[in-house]
Amino acid sequence: MSNDSVNTFNVSLFFPKSSTSTVTNKTGTWSFMRPSYLEKTAPCSVHCPCGQDIPRIEMLVSRGQIAAAWNTILAENPLPGTCGRVCFHPCEKACNRGQFDEAVSINAIERYLDDAAWAASIAPAAARGSAKGRRIAIVGSGPAGLAASYFLSMLGYECEIFEAAEEPGGILRYGIPAYRLPNEVLDREIARIRALGVMIHCARAVDSAFLEGAKHTYDAVFLSCGNGASMKLGVPGEELALDGLAFLRSAKQGEGAARTISVKPHGSAIVVGGGNTAIDVARSLRRLGVSPTIVYRRRREDMPAFEHEVARALEEGVRMVELRAPLALARLDGGIELKVQKMRPAGVGADGRMRVVPDGDATELIFADALYSAVGATHAESWMVPPDDGRVVRLSHAAAFWDAPVGIPLLYGGDPVNENESVADAIASGKQAAIALDVFFQKGAGAVKAELARCAVGDGTSLSMEIYLGGPRANRSGRVVSFKDIPTDYFSPSEKKRGASLPPERAIASFEEIESSLDAAEAAMQAERCFNCGICNDCDNCRTYCPELAITALRAGRRDDWSTEAGPARAINSDYCKGCGICAAECPRCAMIIEEQQS
Amino acid sequence: MREVLEGSQAVAEAVRLARVKVISAYPITPQTHIVEELAKYCADGSLDGRFICVESEHSAMASVIGAESGGVRSFTASSSHGLALMHEMLHWAAGARLPIVMAEVNRALGPGWNLWVDQTDSLSQRDTGWLQFYCSDGQEALDTTLLAYRLAEILNLPIMVVMDAFFLSHTYEPVDVPSQADVDAFLPPYEPKFLMDTKNPYALDEVAPINVYMEMRRSIQMAMEAAPGIYQAIEDEFYTRFGRRYGLVEPYRCEDADIVFVTAGTAAATARVAVDTLRAKGERVGLLRLRMFRPFPAEAFRLGLAHAKKVIVLDRNCSFGAGGVFAQELKAALYGPEAPKLYSYVAGMGGRDVTVDTFSELFTMTRDQDEPPLGSVWYGVNEEMLRS
Amino acid sequence: MKNELYSGAEYLNPGHVGCPGCGATIAMKLALRALGEHTMLVIPASCWAIIGGNYPQSSLKVPILHTAFATTAAAASGLRAALDLRGDRETTIVGWAGDGGTFDIGFQALSAAAERGEDFIYVCYDNEAYMNTGVQRSSSTPWGARTMTTPGDKWKRTYKKNIVEIMAAHRIPYAATASIAYPEDLERKLRKAASIRSGLRFIHLYSSCPTGWGFAPEHSVRVARLAVQTRAFPLYEVEDGTTYAINQAGDKPVREYLRTQSRFRHLSDEDIAQIQKYVDQEWKRLVRKAEEA
Repeated sequence: MSNDSVNTFNVSLFFPKSSTSTVTNKTGTWSFMRPSYLEKTAPCSVHCPCGQDIPRIEMLVSRGQIAAAWNTILAENPLPGTCGRVCFHPCEKACNRGQFDEAVSINAIERYLDDAAWAASIAPAAARGSAKGRRIAIVGSGPAGLAASYFLSMLGYECEIFEAAEEPGGILRYGIPAYRLPNEVLDREIARIRALGVMIHCARAVDSAFLEGAKHTYDAVFLSCGNGASMKLGVPGEELALDGLAFLRSAKQGEGAARTISVKPHGSAIVVGGGNTAIDVARSLRRLGVSPTIVYRRRREDMPAFEHEVARALEEGVRMVELRAPLALARLDGGIELKVQKMRPAGVGADGRMRVVPDGDATELIFADALYSAVGATHAESWMVPPDDGRVVRLSHAAAFWDAPVGIPLLYGGDPVNENESVADAIASGKQAAIALDVFFQKGAGAVKAELARCAVGDGTSLSMEIYLGGPRANRSGRVVSFKDIPTDYFSPSEKKRGASLPPERAIASFEEIESSLDAAEAAMQAERCFNCGICNDCDNCRTYCPELAITALRAGRRDDWSTEAGPARAINSDYCKGCGICAAECPRCAMIIEEQQS
Repeated sequence: MREVLEGSQAVAEAVRLARVKVISAYPITPQTHIVEELAKYCADGSLDGRFICVESEHSAMASVIGAESGGVRSFTASSSHGLALMHEMLHWAAGARLPIVMAEVNRALGPGWNLWVDQTDSLSQRDTGWLQFYCSDGQEALDTTLLAYRLAEILNLPIMVVMDAFFLSHTYEPVDVPSQADVDAFLPPYEPKFLMDTKNPYALDEVAPINVYMEMRRSIQMAMEAAPGIYQAIEDEFYTRFGRRYGLVEPYRCEDADIVFVTAGTAAATARVAVDTLRAKGERVGLLRLRMFRPFPAEAFRLGLAHAKKVIVLDRNCSFGAGGVFAQELKAALYGPEAPKLYSYVAGMGGRDVTVDTFSELFTMTRDQDEPPLGSVWYGVNEEMLRS
Repeated sequence: MKNELYSGAEYLNPGHVGCPGCGATIAMKLALRALGEHTMLVIPASCWAIIGGNYPQSSLKVPILHTAFATTAAAASGLRAALDLRGDRETTIVGWAGDGGTFDIGFQALSAAAERGEDFIYVCYDNEAYMNTGVQRSSSTPWGARTMTTPGDKWKRTYKKNIVEIMAAHRIPYAATASIAYPEDLERKLRKAASIRSGLRFIHLYSSCPTGWGFAPEHSVRVARLAVQTRAFPLYEVEDGTTYAINQAGDKPVREYLRTQSRFRHLSDEDIAQIQKYVDQEWKRLVRKAEEA
């Protein structure tokens, strides 16, 4: 018999030899728990008056997605170049990373982004909305007015801004010194707003008569006139004081202009006040060679000025005298003699600030070549603020007089109505007014509060235009991610970094901008520090650990192609998910939840 | 080529001729000469294979299972305690349907330690799914090893080539060693029916649930049932090529025999002399040598013993509590009204001599006894020692 | 935090029967991601003998040779020999056994294969007891743990074998610990092990077991991470039995780890102090060896 015939014997061979997959077993039926992706709200966003989507911005920057990151800011804030420089960045105070090591450099990254976008000539994505056939007049081109015009344009309204000054920008142009905010930066932000079709009429002061007749041309007016009038010291000899705001305004027009209302170099000056204006005045004087002394009636820590600005002023050689209240000014030897009352702390007041009371009869005399008053500002004219009228609806950042006697709604925003006088809060005013007006026109005044609540960021007062417009952010939970929600084992301590600052001695030599931008690598590294609280950043930790291969990535292809898309692009396959919950427990961002299975 | 070879060398020669690739073994007397010889072949390159010096017989069988699963022809050899230690893996090899061939040198199990011939070790493995062939000389050991590879690879079952300790393993005899070309023609390169392959990934030998396990066991039984027929076909071819054949059972002068000896291994060679001696005295006696034990060639025995009136079975083993294993198996195979009377003797365990006189005495005892006693009779035991 | 897209092929199929949160399943998934398609597994009796699938299914896309409990290293040796003789040097063979199959019943074969210098990777996925048979102690069960065979007040009062030290003492080219909580480290070590082709490479892979240790399945990774952070299971590697490197630092008190699992719930403060002392001693020893290197 040949081999072949022998080998044709048909012998039974049935034994454990397997080649089919377990994929047909629907082991997901074991599960009684069900994980899912649920993006949440980051505390930084809640505390950002503009409600910026900070975790997403940081995520995009960390990947070098500059255009997407910049446009993510622009969705909520028209002035990133400004805010990246002057914002008091409450976001960083709220940053969960602050409880781990140091907060993320959100402010410096914003600054970097705007500079980088400008340098790369990136086109903004924000566009004018489809025309709604309504015109809105805006009075004042400070941050509130600019923001209102920007957001109203996005919503399809035609906007005209009336500005009394020769150039737009208000406080940004005339109040904030160039070493903090150069005019070129402001100019490019305003150009972007103009590009949306906003008309800005400069040197067009309006008056109450304008309001009376506005209804013939406009469907509403937004008043954002700012606080342009300095408050009085209210002491004898007050007329001898120079106006701090006026000084800042001249200083912004150039050193020459500044000198016209400042003392000679090497002279001395007293700056009375504790707000940002006082600090700005003192530091500007320092740049003109003057030795300023800030006199403040409370303690340094009670100053309304931003802490980092105060610190910087002291570094630059500004002196400070705390707990001294002005009593009288007098002329002396070509200079000013200020008599002050010594004060002492007297417990925390109802507003949460430390109260001060006179410390007996002790007085002192302080002498200087000049005295600048910077004790606060208020609105210049009464029509610029909402009447104290029960019919005015007070919102967090604006006031709305829907049935104003002028026949069209009047809305008020900016410093005069804001609890917190800041650029970011002013922008928040503009956004709130824009959304409120849109709701008003579409659904009536009664719907405004509910709609504003719908687009609130987390549990705070900030609003999101993206949420209002139903963008991907609208799918997020308002639950705010806390530090304990973050499995910090996924992070290792690293150093926070801002842009480099000029050393004080160089800083005071001119009005040159003090802080420079982070470079791209630094920005990416700083952005990488962000926990990305509550949002999926495609880290894929869930997929790495899922023992069931039950997690599918919905975006195909290279990550660069889809990384600017928002939202978690993951799906959990209930055929296989046994509900172990590792994905949710290990999500470094707290972008997942696990719940009991609903049968 | 005719050479004088030790039984162990004859087996090693067959393994070399079979172009075995992996040999894995652990030393145990009296199997060592086989593996030493193979280690030498691997070392000198006369065998293109790898010798794995494992740390136990359990690992020897496990590594051979690994090698066969990897698709190469493999070999191991053991004895006695070594085989007992392998027991788990013997089941595994059969269940995994791997055509492994091993040489098993029959040796007694301790305690007490005993190096000498005894079949209890291999017969303890009768239910593992291995085929078993018992050889009685060096030539047969060589030939059976070659036949075993051919058969195993058709059946996908492992085969044990069994030989007596010392009497065969250490005895030099003339052996006709076939040429490599002839062997290659008879035993083509191994073509596994399945193997571990990353391009065609199987999970082998995994969990078999209730709904398939029994069918898998039935499949082994079916292959076993097919084995005698296939073996005979292979042996026909072997005979054509090499001029030698052995059969499932080997009859000697059985044609007109009233009484037939049944035994295995070297004792059968002794029995053959006894048959001649008794025949010379006019006794109608024959020998039916057991060669294949698993599967048990019941049909061959029925045929071979069709005319016998009495059968004398000599077992060099004992299934304690039952008796000689060959006798029991044969009794079961022959069961029926036509069956000859079967006389079971346990003898020669632990190396005790089985001589021509032994067979002559057993013949006389059997001839003079009309009915066989129940159970096995222990022959040659010193009853003195057992009185206490 | 890594920010790289999780990509590449998977070699684990869904639909396997691993317990929810099974660390050993994660271990396999990560290991095969590192090793790729040219891999063959040898798996003895163990949880993975079950997770691997019932006939006619397999939960893995690479070939598996299931084998008897004690035989991982021996079967892998034979398989390696076969592949070598077939001219396949590309495929990596991985013996994949539990702690029982490694520390206990399979140890003899493992030690022998190490001594012979067999060319394969041996992964002991360690869940610190015979889990598949219902949680009986093994010689990998740590001091202080309760199991079904160290129940009640007879909780285990002997220390876990230091298997990596034992393997390193064989002077194998590579011995390392790895943990499912450190996937990059785990994958790096497996790739490194695969790249070494002379001698046995041993990976001691910590695989947390919610079912056997008594914790909620979502904490599998957390428990594994705490084991490293508390030095109960340090991550380190040993080259040629002599050159030690510690891969992950941690200095949390071991109590934090013990308190996550019910198998340690009965331990008193004194017991925990004793474990801490032991952990400290072992760590000191390890640091000394790493410093010598």
